[in-house]
Order: sequence, then C-alpha cells, then structure tokens
Amino acid sequence: MIARFGAVAEGPTVHVAPGTVFEIGGVIITNSILYGWITITFMVLFFAWVARKVTIKPRGGVVQFVEAGVEFISNLVVNSFDDKSKGRKYVPFFVTLFFFLLINNWLGLLPGVGEAFRVGETPLLRAFTADLNGTLAAGIVTMIFVYVASIRETGGVLPYLRHFFIGSPWNPLYFVIGILEILTDLTRVLSLSLRLFLNVTIGEIVIAVFSYLGSIAAPVTALPFTMLEMFVGALQAYIFTVLSLMYLSIAANHGSHTAEHADTEEAELTKDTETETMRLRPGEA
Amino acid sequence: MLPIIAAEAINTEIIAKGLMIGLGFLGPAIGIGIIGGSYLQAVGRNPEAAKFFGQALVFAAIVELFGLLAFASTFIVK
Repeated sequence: MIARFGAVAEGPTVHVAPGTVFEIGGVIITNSILYGWITITFMVLFFAWVARKVTIKPRGGVVQFVEAGVEFISNLVVNSFDDKSKGRKYVPFFVTLFFFLLINNWLGLLPGVGEAFRVGETPLLRAFTADLNGTLAAGIVTMIFVYVASIRETGGVLPYLRHFFIGSPWNPLYFVIGILEILTDLTRVLSLSLRLFLNVTIGEIVIAVFSYLGSIAAPVTALPFTMLEMFVGALQAYIFTVLSLMYLSIAANHGSHTAEHADTEEAELTKDTETETMRLRPGEA
Repeated sequence: MLPIIAAEAINTEIIAKGLMIGLGFLGPAIGIGIIGGSYLQAVGRNPEAAKFFGQALVFAAIVELFGLLAFASTFIVK
C-alpha cells in the first residue's frame, strides 16, 4: 500500500472572503466594511489636521510627506493631459483615490487587524482593500467617474464612442476592431479591482504563511514580507490611480489629435531628436 | 485498477495546486523579466529614459495580475 502522499497538516488560518461581524436590521456588516469606516474616519481627521498644519515654508514631519504625495499625484494628473487647465479639474479626485487606497492598504498591515481579535470564528477587523466587494466598489466608482468625465471632455456620447475607431467606422476592419475595443473597455472595472484585491489578499496570506512557518521566530520571518507588503501597497495604490488616469487621458487627449496635428507632431519629434544628436556629438568627441 | 488506486492513494489536490502555481507563475515571471531587462537596456542606451521607471512598474503590475489569478484559483481546487 502506498503511503498517503503529502498528508495535510494543520496550516495557518487564512480567510479569502470577509466574515459577518454583526447585523443592523438585516443588513450584514462585514469586518472589512467596519474597518473601512474606521479608516475613513481616521483619514478625514488626519487630513483635516494636515490641512491646518500646512505652511508655505516646509517644517518637516508627517505633513511634508503628505505634501510630497499630493504634489506628486497632482503633477502626474496635470502632465498627462495635453491641455494643462483641463487636468487641473481632475486633481482632487485622483489625489483622494490615491490616498484612500494607500491608507487602506497600509492600515491593513497593522498588528491587531486580522486574526488577533475575533467575534466567534470571524476576525473583527480586515483591511478594506482585502475584500473583493470593497475593491469592486472602488473600481466601479472610478470607472463611472472616468466615463462621465471622458464623455464630457469629448463633448457627447457619440464623439466618445467614435474615439474607439481608428479610422472610418464604415470600414469593416476598423468596425470590428472598434467593437472589440469597446468590449475590452468593459473589462477594465474587473481588472482594476481584481488586481488590487489579489495583491493585498495574497500579501496577507503570504505573511500568515511565513509567520506560521516561523512558529516561535515569527516576528523575524514575517517582518521582511510585511515590509514588502508596504511597498506593494503603495505601488498598487499608485498603479490603480495611474491606470484610471490613463483611461481618462486617452479619451480626453484624443479630441485634440486631428490628422493635421499628427503630422506636425511627428515633424516636431524628428526635430527634437536631431537637436538631441547635435547636442550629444560634442560630448562624445 | 491501478489508476483508481493511484488516485486514492496520491493526494491529487496537492499536485494540482503545485502545478497550477508553478505553471501559472512561469509566464508572469518571464514577462516581468523581459520588462525589467528592456527597461535596463533602454536606460543603458539612453540614461534619460530612466524617467520611465513608473511606467515600467505599471506594466509589471499588469503582467503580475495573471500570476495572482493563478494563485487565487488554487483556493477553488478541491
């Protein structure tokens, strides 16, 4: 008789779905939405405090980090539009989105969130972004904003649909490509939210696995992965923001690129590279 | 008879999960390697291309999603 191959031992406790903590009048309150509310309260208080502390001359401390983050994202938003004054309108939304996801990702890594406190079998707190319902909500809100804003930028529903087609929509090839483009556009909600959810959840699972493997030396084995997760959390917040910004700016910039414009731009590009090589030549010699 | 005995004696769930994770991470690993390699090559040719680091990260994240999907699917295997 062959021995049972790879008998499963008692592994680390891992939750992929959020658990019910309590109910209010038949509405289920899960641990992730509970922690999401706590995070939002913290965020509002924290940013109100930062807004009072901001001075023209930087004084250092936490305020400076927030200021650097806001400036980084607002530069990113303004520079991705051809018309700079257009981009300035969308700065508040994307800065809020970035900080919302960043703070949710980072607060989810705090000790005490997860298995530490339990209500019966389910953990009391869970990171809001480690729940597919949460990230799906974030994705849907973002994409609705992007669609509304890009329809407004292109000046109507028909011009917005028109930008999916490279050439004339009556050309059969361009027609099929355009329809495919519209269909791929609808998967953006899922890809945005799944990416964020899987990154955060799998990060938590990896931390759980390594603290289980470490047993008595759990702080030592889990620390590197917690630090990696801090990096991943910041990166995923950035990527969510940049991708949704890209979806908006592609549609918004399309209107200003007419056929004549493309030619002049190409000419400008070649001119730029020429000056570049001329500038480089003396240095090489 | 032998396949039935093997299926009962060998824990196929573990093998399936291992194959899923191994093969599922193979593609994204190659993809991220290509992205990182191309980025370094571009920076080596033209140091001014270093400003595209953020975009390289964005594409790495797009590729990474497929590996994570493979990982997440292992929870469905029974």
